[in-house]
Amino acid sequence: MDLEEIQTVWSEMSDQLEQQKKLTNELIMKMTQERYSTKFDKITFYETIGAVICFLAAIYFLVNINKLDTWYLLACGIFTIAFLILLPVLTLGLLGRIKRMNIVKNSYKETIVGYTKAKTQLLLIQRVGIYLSFILVFTCLPVFSKIMNNKDLFLQTKIWLIYLPIMAIFLFFFSRWGYKCYKNITNSAENILKELET
Amino acid sequence: MGKEESFTGIIKENEGVIFKITTIYTRNEQDQKDLYQEIVYQLWKSFDSFRNESKISTWMYRVALNTAINQLNKGKKHSNTTGIDQVVLRQTENYDTEFENRLKIVYQHIHQLNILEKGLILLLLEGRKYQEISEITGLSETNVGTRISRIKQKLKSRIIKN
Repeated sequence: MDLEEIQTVWSEMSDQLEQQKKLTNELIMKMTQERYSTKFDKITFYETIGAVICFLAAIYFLVNINKLDTWYLLACGIFTIAFLILLPVLTLGLLGRIKRMNIVKNSYKETIVGYTKAKTQLLLIQRVGIYLSFILVFTCLPVFSKIMNNKDLFLQTKIWLIYLPIMAIFLFFFSRWGYKCYKNITNSAENILKELET
Repeated sequence: MGKEESFTGIIKENEGVIFKITTIYTRNEQDQKDLYQEIVYQLWKSFDSFRNESKISTWMYRVALNTAINQLNKGKKHSNTTGIDQVVLRQTENYDTEFENRLKIVYQHIHQLNILEKGLILLLLEGRKYQEISEITGLSETNVGTRISRIKQKLKSRIIKN
């Protein structure tokens, strides 16, 4: 099949579609008035729910920060609070940027560039988030334990002897897999951007 | 003629075009339906701004293609191979299996192109002139020509390989 044949098949399909028209005025107007739940809205919804949970946890830690009475617990507390606030804000900001793209004024090229850049940044944040969340597991557990039970987990070496190796193995495999996925997607995104810039 | 009346008229006239765009940018029936609805929704939203512009087709292709890009891979995984069967063409009483197979091959070739190339080949197959393709895509006319020749080469080499 060569390009000419592709064109022939395409125009034959176009003719057939012309004869198969199905839309009614009611159906069209229903589509314009009823915002169908798109996947993008679903993602934003879940991200928002996640962000609310993170913010509530951050507020809880903030309110109880005076209970963290050593420098290392305080450092863990600050990292946990920063993580719980910054990451959702950055993710929601980028999702908002994708959503706000002007699809009427922007050309196809501008949309592709905008979308690809936002997508790459979103993936970067997600990837950084994966790595940081491992640190979060180490930091939020002692903070939580101190605030809830007034126990300093750093003084209980047994827990860390079991906990640390398990987390290290998990981190090793998970980050390798995450990096591979990320690399594949960003490579193709970079190729498109490069192509558009030439 | 009222706003709703002229809008529904335009959509009815171009429902096949929207269908073809949704087929190119999606891999399964559900995604295709979602995209179709989103395109109509976005066209309606931008209908007022279009009224002052000259060409319906330029406005429509631009909004539809941009919406398709915006809807791409919204965080979900989809199959790379299935789906085409269900979305190739709405079946008619005179269902032609041979034509359907040829159409599947056409879509397979188009699906292998990147997002920019997909848009360009679609506009080319739709019979749009380079000038209009340039207006829709934001590429210069010369650039459109160069890229289309590259796509032709790409398709040719793939077709020969197969």
